[in-house]
Amino acid sequence: MADKKRVANLKLQAAKCRQNVLRMVRAGGHGHVGGALSSLDIVTALYFDKMNVDPENPKMEDRDRFLLSAGHKCLAQYAVLAEKGFFDKEVLDTYGKLAAKIPGHPDMHKLPGVEANTGALGHGMSIANGMAMAGKLDGKDYKVYAITGDGELPEGSNWEAAVAAAKFGLDNLVVFVDNNGLQISGDVTKVMDMRPIDEKFKAFGWAVKYIDGNDMNQILDALDSIPEEKGKPTMILCDTVKAKGLSFGENKAGFHFWNATEELLDQAEKEMAELVSKLEKEKEELV
Amino acid sequence: MIGELMDPRKTFGKAVTEIAKENKDVVVFSADSGKSSGFGDFIDQFPERYFECGIMEQGAVGMAAGMATAGKIPVFCAIAPFVTCRPYEMVRNDMGYMKQNVKLVGRNCGITYSDLGVTHQSLDDFGLMRLIPGMTILAPQDPVEIEEACKAMIEYEGPVYMRIGNPKIPVLFERKPFVIGKGDIIQDGEDVTIITTGSCTKDVIEANEILKEAGIKAKIIGLPTVLPLDEDLIRDAAAETKKVVTVEEHYINGGMGSMVTELLSDMDGVTVKRLGIPNIYATTSSNYQELLAYYDLDAKGIAKSVKAYLGK
Repeated sequence: MADKKRVANLKLQAAKCRQNVLRMVRAGGHGHVGGALSSLDIVTALYFDKMNVDPENPKMEDRDRFLLSAGHKCLAQYAVLAEKGFFDKEVLDTYGKLAAKIPGHPDMHKLPGVEANTGALGHGMSIANGMAMAGKLDGKDYKVYAITGDGELPEGSNWEAAVAAAKFGLDNLVVFVDNNGLQISGDVTKVMDMRPIDEKFKAFGWAVKYIDGNDMNQILDALDSIPEEKGKPTMILCDTVKAKGLSFGENKAGFHFWNATEELLDQAEKEMAELVSKLEKEKEELV
Repeated sequence: MIGELMDPRKTFGKAVTEIAKENKDVVVFSADSGKSSGFGDFIDQFPERYFECGIMEQGAVGMAAGMATAGKIPVFCAIAPFVTCRPYEMVRNDMGYMKQNVKLVGRNCGITYSDLGVTHQSLDDFGLMRLIPGMTILAPQDPVEIEEACKAMIEYEGPVYMRIGNPKIPVLFERKPFVIGKGDIIQDGEDVTIITTGSCTKDVIEANEILKEAGIKAKIIGLPTVLPLDEDLIRDAAAETKKVVTVEEHYINGGMGSMVTELLSDMDGVTVKRLGIPNIYATTSSNYQELLAYYDLDAKGIAKSVKAYLGK
């Protein structure tokens, strides 16, 4: 079990990052909040606890790499990069504006810290493989982390990447499946049922963990034991809650992409501010 | 040696292998296509830098792009439609949009896989690749130019698509450094400009002999680079001869001929005749020369079309 202070700090960071997501929605009036908020705890744990990255030197040669195969979850990455200091938070206020550095899908040439231009689904796992293969070839010990989603898995190219990652023995690669159960058209298992996801990856030669992807303790426990098995890529299947943290939007497919109303946005901002205060107090009490 | 017949695939694979001896960043991806792309020696000499993906073109392009983000120079060669049509979105996004230093090589291009049928033809690769911003397209015209093009494309930083053919081709030119974006005047003349690229250049040079006999003095421009187009060279020639013919083993729509036509579209009095394959699923023959003749892309056919265009 991870240290209490470590967990308390990450929970607080995650809440602050959720505030950043709301700040972008405030600026743009909309956004793919569902998957961003379901995966945000994972992204927070990676950047604030695990990854060897330097906001001052985002292209540092031996850095750990992170990318979103499901590029539409980019509000999570923007929120965390901003909180981590990769760029000024004022940039968050440009979401949806002409030629913003933070478009609706990430652009590595616009924003420091972004490693790949994803958005079209089924690309990120192969790109992540390539990054991990280069690390192996050069004898580097950096790790590559990628997030895909349950809704993305019917793309066949993911499975090309899956079998190749095993063949090339990429135990420096960790892929999270953000298993929030919902996509635009509704229940993922009704749209195209990819279950059992864990068994499929195991059959493709991966080491697999199954956790609650919104539980910081479980995320840290999983990350602390990477590689799960020497010589194998690790897949962490994460049960998550779509739009996690929006009291009125959780587990609703309609919040995959949220066209925000003033009223609900006000409510979300208020609730998230309260959560941040509460978590700050909890963190202080542990000191 | 001029006139010597050489296998384009073996020439290509050998050239990359030679470069890889010096440049340790060069890695090779294969989709069950390594040995047939001339990489037998590479596999023996640099097994750790050889990545066999099996028949998996989308994954191979994505992985190559991922490796390139970490400074590697991946070369991925397979049958042309399988590295262009099949993984197009990966080429567009992961190589193009991400500006990654991946070298994609389509072999057996055009109709050079003459009897394997439509699925193995590549008559749209110039068209597909030219629409990707930042892409460079190379189509070397003889074996020596293939060797030099390999050096140039690996030295150049950015995404490149190179197409090479299948049957043995003769050495046409003396060796000289390959400059990306530069065409050459193979022969000067004032009656018509003939612009050729890739495998067609051999036949254009032969066609020129027939044209000479008919008293036609052609300015012949060879384009080992299709994108970026050597615009100055082409516009100057068009201004001089007014009449322009393009020759390519590609659909007449969307390829080099279309690019030239677009380039010259604002020039008064200039007309362009595009030679190539019409927009059809082309037929087959185990005899490549016979197939070229069928589509008037052999020397006789090219000469016939040029004469007709000039009204001679």
